[in-house]
Amino acid sequence: MTKKRFSAVGFIAAVAIAVSGLVVPSASAADEIVVWADESRGANLKKALAVKSDWVSGYTITVKAFSNFDALKDAFDKATDASGPDIIMGANDWVPTGAKSGKLAPVTLTASQKARFTPGQLFDLTYKGNLYGVPVDVNNVAMIYNTKLVTTAPKTFGEMVAFYKANKASKSLKAGLCVAGGGMSWGAHSIFSALGADAFQFDSRDKIIYNRSFNGTTFGKNVRTYLLDGKKSNGFLPASDAGCKDNFLAGTVPYAIIGNWEWSDYVAKGFTMNLMPVPGVTAGSYGKMFGSVSGALLTTYAAKHGSEAGAKSLLTNFFGSTAGQVLYQKYEGRPPAEKGAALDATVTAAQRGFGAAASLASIPQIGAFLNSNAGGASYWDSAPAYWTAVLVDGKDAVTEGNKLAAIWRANTSAGKADL
Amino acid sequence: MTSFFTGKVSFAIKLVVVLLVSAVLLTLTQSAFAQKEYFIAGFLAITIFLLILTYLSKISIPLKFFLPGILLLVAFVLSPILYTVTMSTYNYKTGNIVSQGEAIEQVKNRGFESDANGTSFDIKIGRYEMQEAILVSDTINKAYFISTVNNRIPLNAADLTINEYGVAESAPNFETLSDADMAKADELYSLKRFKYQDEYFIALEGFEVGVVSRQVLEFDEAKDQFKNVITGDIYVNNGRGNYAIAGSPDKYLEPGWRAPIWFENYTKLFTDKRLRGPLVSVFIWTVTFATLSVLTTFALGLILALALNKPIRGRRFYRSILILPYAMPSIMSILIWGGMFNTEFGAINNLLGTQIAWFQSALFAKFAIILVNLWLGFPYFYLISSGALQAIPSELLEAAAIDGANPRQIFRRITMPLLLQILSPLLIASFAFNFNNFNLIYLLTGGGPRAELDGELAGATDILISFTYKIAFGNSIQDLGLASAISLVIFVLVASISMYGLRKSKVLESFE
Repeated sequence: MTKKRFSAVGFIAAVAIAVSGLVVPSASAADEIVVWADESRGANLKKALAVKSDWVSGYTITVKAFSNFDALKDAFDKATDASGPDIIMGANDWVPTGAKSGKLAPVTLTASQKARFTPGQLFDLTYKGNLYGVPVDVNNVAMIYNTKLVTTAPKTFGEMVAFYKANKASKSLKAGLCVAGGGMSWGAHSIFSALGADAFQFDSRDKIIYNRSFNGTTFGKNVRTYLLDGKKSNGFLPASDAGCKDNFLAGTVPYAIIGNWEWSDYVAKGFTMNLMPVPGVTAGSYGKMFGSVSGALLTTYAAKHGSEAGAKSLLTNFFGSTAGQVLYQKYEGRPPAEKGAALDATVTAAQRGFGAAASLASIPQIGAFLNSNAGGASYWDSAPAYWTAVLVDGKDAVTEGNKLAAIWRANTSAGKADL
Repeated sequence: MTSFFTGKVSFAIKLVVVLLVSAVLLTLTQSAFAQKEYFIAGFLAITIFLLILTYLSKISIPLKFFLPGILLLVAFVLSPILYTVTMSTYNYKTGNIVSQGEAIEQVKNRGFESDANGTSFDIKIGRYEMQEAILVSDTINKAYFISTVNNRIPLNAADLTINEYGVAESAPNFETLSDADMAKADELYSLKRFKYQDEYFIALEGFEVGVVSRQVLEFDEAKDQFKNVITGDIYVNNGRGNYAIAGSPDKYLEPGWRAPIWFENYTKLFTDKRLRGPLVSVFIWTVTFATLSVLTTFALGLILALALNKPIRGRRFYRSILILPYAMPSIMSILIWGGMFNTEFGAINNLLGTQIAWFQSALFAKFAIILVNLWLGFPYFYLISSGALQAIPSELLEAAAIDGANPRQIFRRITMPLLLQILSPLLIASFAFNFNNFNLIYLLTGGGPRAELDGELAGATDILISFTYKIAFGNSIQDLGLASAISLVIFVLVASISMYGLRKSKVLESFE
């Protein structure tokens, strides 16, 4: 065979393969619902679905687990019509941006389906009046105290500060209270709240009372009283969460705020889950913590894959049902969002402990408010800066408190329209 | 040897290699095409064609050598630049990501509302008189009906099979879809609006539930606008990627789409007060940082090279030690330095007996950055200075010494000018590298300290590229169009400074 013929054969072969290659492959099989989740939720979903998988007639459910939560978010940001999932297990603050960008699709729950969740949980997954998924697990923090250092639960914030000051030297305490889970913004909110700076408050009909939220002056004065000696930090509350968990486990910090996703680490070290909200400045009052939910969110890709109805059925039949959440949380171990599942006998003591703490003092995290950049900054980014400014840089607690309150007000005003 | 390149066997090997490469590229083409990345798919298809044409024909011998380089240059240099240039002229940010067609579809899909009572029914999916239909159970009122797109057919409960929850399982002439058919019918049924009453219809919310809704937003393709049929509001194309109410730019529909806004992202850099202020200070610090980094690393590297250019005891050992910071991954070094600068438990404060909050003060943070970059950068200049020193003819130095020049004069008048001529391109390259030294800033200080409470956008140690990253990916609202515009400004700045430097050093002329 001559070279020319070789060339011709090669060219024709390549063109033939090219033509056959341009047949568009479908992103997922026609009878498949694809769910994306992080490494923990993904692995546990697979376990749960291995036990029972026939949640939607005619469909198989495929779970793709990503290496971590950030990788999951990154993949979702870059997802295309072909590669995107039908359902994604994501954080509640993904809802505003996901809906804005056309990646999430709304779902409508029936009255009986809605009744399975608290209004606050549904608030978390709502953007501009549309619900974008079903709440699956509750993410909250609670304060744990080390019973080897303190024998009884503190009744007021001042009691904790007094204990720290009295025992700092004798017990080699590195701090009084620190934030181990959730960071100095989300995790520390119960401290903001305990000292008088709630992100928002609700009336008895679950309506937000805007004019009673975030009083920067009251908060700043309480910070002066409880966290400062003159202009300097009294050492009770570190400005960052670095080292908090290790210090608490080592017995050098008596009180710590921990996340419900990490409770097993504390149990493994022999701690009993004596959990409570952060006590307020007066007995009987508590700092409210964000009791946000992670949800199973419907994506716009489901409609493009021709599996929208199947995906919606999976949301209600599995992710939003008592049976589904009991089965899944048996492996995942977080407090279930669905009311029936939360009352189930299989729920562990820690899950109940966090649930009980949340029931005393919890508010929903409303992404539409707090993710906003209106006013030049977002509350999430700015809140940790408050602790640094006051506890490290020695800036005035009231002035900085009012700056944070102004940012909060700007965020909230802009976010009202998004609810 | 020549026959190896020209024989039939070699041609066969070449053919196999070209086809294998083509097969790999075909797989990528297929994947790109499936993901609707038509530009990438087109480029890959052209690449395959060019590969086959070049290597399986005698069209051009030089092209056989240049083609891989040309293709890689187009793929990884020219295309990203062109894409960035294009995106810098678009309103391309969170909320304006999808195409206009996609945005219209989604607005339509979201543009319905449930009835005031939130009415929903249990349903069964199937066919009735050859049409797609649903068997609807109103369990509260014990009413049952079949609904198609155009008709609603009331049913008598006595004619139905009803389960213990009061839900109709089957009805005369209603053929329920089997489990196996459900998935296949998903798309068809999801798009249907089944008849209810007046303007209300029943839409599927899964295979088991239908929700009573009505369409609120209607799209008028001819006028390119949406109308809210309840309130009468008209949402017109605002030319910026959203349908908005005329005169009320804040009242717009979501999602929006990527829309060209031409030079607005560039003008925003100068007209937006919130952006202009930080951009000026960030630019000044970027130039300062890059200049100081080059000067300090070059100075230390040169001093060490001069010191070790003389035969001293243990020279080999010292040389090995000095290269170690260069051999270690810079990410690890930066993180270790970050720990050493920690206020509470860092080694530096412990050694000095101080409590300096290195990363809370702008001055200390900048000092820390220059110091860490000195550690990371001096081995490079030590190495190239050593090489350059050895390239200077010793006769020149000896002649100068014979003429009576002292060592300082020899260094200032002979060694340094010759060194600079050799090293100028590398100094300029180092400046350009440090101008965009994202890793160091991001990992060491994160651009901080920043007075978030005062609404500052940029931190004290942010350089242009880390500031751009913050705008593009740093918070929940990602402005990729604006970030592209800043990237291009950086590109022009670095290119201009580099060209100026090269011209001043007359290096280019020496290569001509």
